[in-house]
Amino acid sequence: MTALGQLVETRRILACVGAGGVGKTTVAAAVALEAARRGRRAVVITIDPARRLADALGVDHLENEPRAIPADRLTELGVAGDGELFAMMLDMKRTFDEMVDRFAPDPESRDRILENPIYHHVSDALAGSAEYSAMEKVYELCETETFDLIVVDTPPSQHALDFLDAPQRLVEFLDSRIVQLLVHPAFAAGRFGFKLFQRGAHRVMQMIERVSGAGFLEDLSDFLMAFDAMSEGFRDRARQVRALLTGPTSGFVLVSGPGQRAIDDARLFLDRLEGTGVPVEGLVLNRMRTWPDGGDPPERVPADGDREAAVAVLAAALREVEGQDFPAEDAAEAALDAVAGYASAVRRDREACRGLVERAERANRFALRVPELPSDVHDLEGLARVAGALFESPARA
Amino acid sequence: MSAPEHGLLERRLIIITGKGGTGKTSVSAALALLAARRGLRVCVAEMALESRIPALFGSSEAAAGEDHEIHPGVTAVRIEPYAALAEYLGLQFGGRRVAEWVLGNQAFRQLMDAAPGWRELITLGKVWHLEQMERADGTPRWDLLIVDAPATGHGLTFLDVPRVAVAAVRVGPLRRHASWVEEMIEDKRRTILLPVALAEELPARETTELVERVRRDVGVAVDRVVVNAVSPAPFPEQVPDLDVRLARLPADTGQGRLPPPATLAACARHLRERRELNVRHLETIAEGTSLPMITLPLLPEGVLDVDDLARLADAFEADPRLAA
Repeated sequence: MTALGQLVETRRILACVGAGGVGKTTVAAAVALEAARRGRRAVVITIDPARRLADALGVDHLENEPRAIPADRLTELGVAGDGELFAMMLDMKRTFDEMVDRFAPDPESRDRILENPIYHHVSDALAGSAEYSAMEKVYELCETETFDLIVVDTPPSQHALDFLDAPQRLVEFLDSRIVQLLVHPAFAAGRFGFKLFQRGAHRVMQMIERVSGAGFLEDLSDFLMAFDAMSEGFRDRARQVRALLTGPTSGFVLVSGPGQRAIDDARLFLDRLEGTGVPVEGLVLNRMRTWPDGGDPPERVPADGDREAAVAVLAAALREVEGQDFPAEDAAEAALDAVAGYASAVRRDREACRGLVERAERANRFALRVPELPSDVHDLEGLARVAGALFESPARA
Repeated sequence: MSAPEHGLLERRLIIITGKGGTGKTSVSAALALLAARRGLRVCVAEMALESRIPALFGSSEAAAGEDHEIHPGVTAVRIEPYAALAEYLGLQFGGRRVAEWVLGNQAFRQLMDAAPGWRELITLGKVWHLEQMERADGTPRWDLLIVDAPATGHGLTFLDVPRVAVAAVRVGPLRRHASWVEEMIEDKRRTILLPVALAEELPARETTELVERVRRDVGVAVDRVVVNAVSPAPFPEQVPDLDVRLARLPADTGQGRLPPPATLAACARHLRERRELNVRHLETIAEGTSLPMITLPLLPEGVLDVDDLARLADAFEADPRLAA
């Protein structure tokens, strides 16, 4: 098992994956903060279109370029020496445009792409393109070697797989025969081996045209032709990105919470991640309710099961301190409800996560528990507390 | 704060969205149950990889589908993009066989696997189709459709896809069909977007952002918000600071029977803090969105079965903001 602390000190990329609403962004930011505390230059990237990270980092907004968290704030949080923390939020459109700019062989090809209506919509508005550009950004940041550690916060689970598959899908797409046919019809027609395929494909395209209307395939073909000029660059890049993500310098951390949905999603997620050979390093269980003294909650409240007697004892004690006019019985009932309710909540959270924890242990991965904090994590101090739970005296889940 | 013009259940289509983890699926199912109780024929559509709604009604996923009710008056469907595409192409080509042949073409499949956007479009197209379906007597097959849509960020992109498609495709059936879907989404009497929030800091802020973005960028109506999992007031009214009082008790109070007063106080404080957090953020949501809110209670054990759905449906029913 590689401990989270060790990952933070040695890896170049850490990706936080998991269902929506479990606090992935917070965990990602806390991990990056810890890296800075340990003297690294760390950046945290969110590809979630929502603005959680800026909120948590106390900067008014984030941009497509890494933005430094001010040194004086970091000092307050125990970042000493060389440690630095940056944060950015992915701007899909700009990253895509930059990508085109980089890979286009000449300004004419670049403009043809940037002005094509299909490109415009693919890069700007359609779901799924976030993942393509996220991978590009991670790779780009990794390549510049500006940062020691890149922590990525991925979108909620259904989309996060797109994020992993994005580079591969792009390569397969560019290599696909339909693209080749749209791009090089003459070339494909001249090759005997393509003949049979071509007849089928042409019929398919006629079918598409019947639904999509005239002109759509033309635009598509035009777009792909322009894109094809850059395809070598993309193909190389996609291979490199995949190699980087599955390589020894990267690690994936699964984040979940005690909610049943989060756990179901986490399980589904693990199945898929393990199936794709991605290095899953461990599990973080966020917002776990913990018993006040740090130990186990009582099995029963009151211990002897005699609620009436417990209410009487508590009410008498309250009356003793608060005076005769105090509504002691009602207060004692409410206190018993509170204790019994919280004890079963703590047990429920543990029980709900047991399967995931056991699975992590069997696979020799770390499993860490972050206690639910009294208020939301929305500032650097809150992040520091999460980082404390993860790194200081890590509570074993 | 403006009052909604129509009761929530008077719409044909309710699109439920919100940040991940806010309970969109439970809210979708509870609303379906409520509508069915009122005699409406409801279809609730999921688009997640795995359907959860049939299980909430105590039914198996296999029992779901357009032709079966999972509960009296409630039908549940899971919209899977490729299945919806096959159906759509089948209608376009006048037969499933041609559609299956096209979909079975490896090159076409590769193109579709890589192409973004069509999944959202075909999913909404399927919703449109469900909305259009009629019975033999010409009445709508379903009085109400409830869509359990993706989480906030992707949820809005999702609703924007038909508009984008209309802009990107110049002529032909696809453009026409996309414009029908767009019309459905933008028809304020027919369709409503219902955000589900939690009364916590970040979900509250995101709900405000969501409503702002909807008003600015998307043509869908939004006229109220559901705030889910709101903690009840935990203490008797006269003792709002019960935890503080408990902390003052002698250390040996209730020994053997009860945890020490410090633990009692900590548990009580936890409840009070959750409640205060909720109250505070109910206010931020109200201020940020200027919309009426329907609040649903926290069910400590989670929403697991039809009894839990009934409790949420009761809360909906009791809320005056359900009606116009």
